[in-house]
Amino acid sequence: MSSSKSLRLVAGLLLSAIFLLALGANFVAPYSYAKQFRNAPSAAPSAVHLFGTDALGRDEFSRLLFGTRVSLLLAPAAALLSTFIAGILGGLAAFLGGWWERAILASADLLMALPLLFVLLALRATLPLDVAPLISAMATFLILSLLGWPSSLRVVWAAARNIRESDFLLLARSSGSSPLRVIVRQILPSLSPVLAAQFWVTIPVFILAEATLSMLGLGVMEPLPSWGNLLRGLENPSAFQANPWTIAPLILLIIVVFCFQFILPSRGDLD
Amino acid sequence: MSRGTLPPFSVPWKKVMRLFLRRAVWLMAVILAGGLLGATLVRYAPGYGVDERELDPRLSQASVEALRVQHHPNANLLGYYAKYLTNAVRGDLGISESTQRPVSELIRERFPVTAKAVLLGMLSAWSLAFFLAMLGQYFRGWVFEVSSTLLTGFLLALPSTVIALLFVYFRAPVYLAIACVTFPKLFRFIHNLLVQAYEQPHVLAARARGIGPVRIFLRHVLAFASPALFALLGVSLSLAFGAAIPIEALTDSPGIGQLAWFAAINRDLPLVVNLTLLVTLITVAGNSLADYSGHLATRAS
Repeated sequence: MSSSKSLRLVAGLLLSAIFLLALGANFVAPYSYAKQFRNAPSAAPSAVHLFGTDALGRDEFSRLLFGTRVSLLLAPAAALLSTFIAGILGGLAAFLGGWWERAILASADLLMALPLLFVLLALRATLPLDVAPLISAMATFLILSLLGWPSSLRVVWAAARNIRESDFLLLARSSGSSPLRVIVRQILPSLSPVLAAQFWVTIPVFILAEATLSMLGLGVMEPLPSWGNLLRGLENPSAFQANPWTIAPLILLIIVVFCFQFILPSRGDLD
Repeated sequence: MSRGTLPPFSVPWKKVMRLFLRRAVWLMAVILAGGLLGATLVRYAPGYGVDERELDPRLSQASVEALRVQHHPNANLLGYYAKYLTNAVRGDLGISESTQRPVSELIRERFPVTAKAVLLGMLSAWSLAFFLAMLGQYFRGWVFEVSSTLLTGFLLALPSTVIALLFVYFRAPVYLAIACVTFPKLFRFIHNLLVQAYEQPHVLAARARGIGPVRIFLRHVLAFASPALFALLGVSLSLAFGAAIPIEALTDSPGIGQLAWFAAINRDLPLVVNLTLLVTLITVAGNSLADYSGHLATRAS
């Protein structure tokens, strides 16, 4: 096994373990993410609270597990939606051609020309700040997916255009296959590696964007934890010195983003 | 053809002008479409045209009516947009709802701070990325590859807000934080580009003929890489402006990044939309200029 393949295997196993831990947060976490221990605010790590408690007396370990679940479930969901939009629009642009192609590509270019973080702030600013935590999490990732598709669209469109020109598609059409059969049996299987690659590439981008937005107070709202709002604990250096476990969400985020960087097959592996 | 006698470079002005015009039209389209998007956001945002003073029980019905007339929302979106554009051409970008000051005045005050930080940040990031990428060409091997991949991978995995916090702890200048965010992306691209350039058959042939490394770099490698480098220059401008928001917000630097964050927190849509349009204009103009220069460089090479 080549070194890149074994690296990918390790990254995949690590990611799976973190995903499983996050999915089982209800069973693994000792307490609810919102439960307050009012007599133990900013407590140091102990047997009762593995990573200590935050300034409001909430168990840091439980919040980390639930925060991981929010970030690791919603980021792939947003990436899936974003890739789906890119797939539909990229496919339409490539196969319809003409003005449709120009209009779709121009709108993608237009969205790509807008600075993402500024647009995110503008869209987020249209929503009230006091929305329910779960809705704030959904809205954050929905906005990310609605703004994230243009970069994937160009790649999907280029791949779909190659398929449009291919001999096997011409053969399928000339043999009388219905458009639906051509899409399901010919086009989608050929596009799936490109779509999968775009999906995996987009997940860490969304994880980091959520972390940035939530750290700025514009992402997932308290008391629902996410990596972004857990990282706000780092803003207070004295709290970090008192309880070094405050850095745990950052370490987990770095590991996950690193794993996503390694998990994609390189061009050499595909050849 | 003997070495050193290249044909004279003539600029195909017709093509260059066509490219320039196409870019100018694109820029106008982006401004108009971005403006329409912004106007739609402002016009249909919850609470548009409502003054909270209307809820003051001490005000008489006449005063409330006067306030309503003053804040009367334009029912027609296109009418609202046309009015916005007409005012914008005159330099009137409206009044910030949170600070009650003209938006153009706020931008004039804060833009130089961000522009300086972004330019210095880009300069630092480009210098470091180029230096390390060149170093990689002379110290080829797995040690450089692994260490550079780990370093850039680590920096790419850090949210820009965390980088900003580190710079607050160490009291380092804001532009270095912007450089830290843009550097890993620039380095990876430049490194790959240089590897590709040095593997070109004509570069290998030049090496085999004993041409010096400086001459190879200037005459062959740069000529091959310059169009992509110019495109990267445009992209890095966009990256640097994007990084400015969280960095300025957390380092308390009084630039437009901090202003945009403040506007978003206070739901000051006229301000945040105008700032978005301003940054879009700068980045699209920067990208167009970079593309244009890249096109000229391709023709020259």
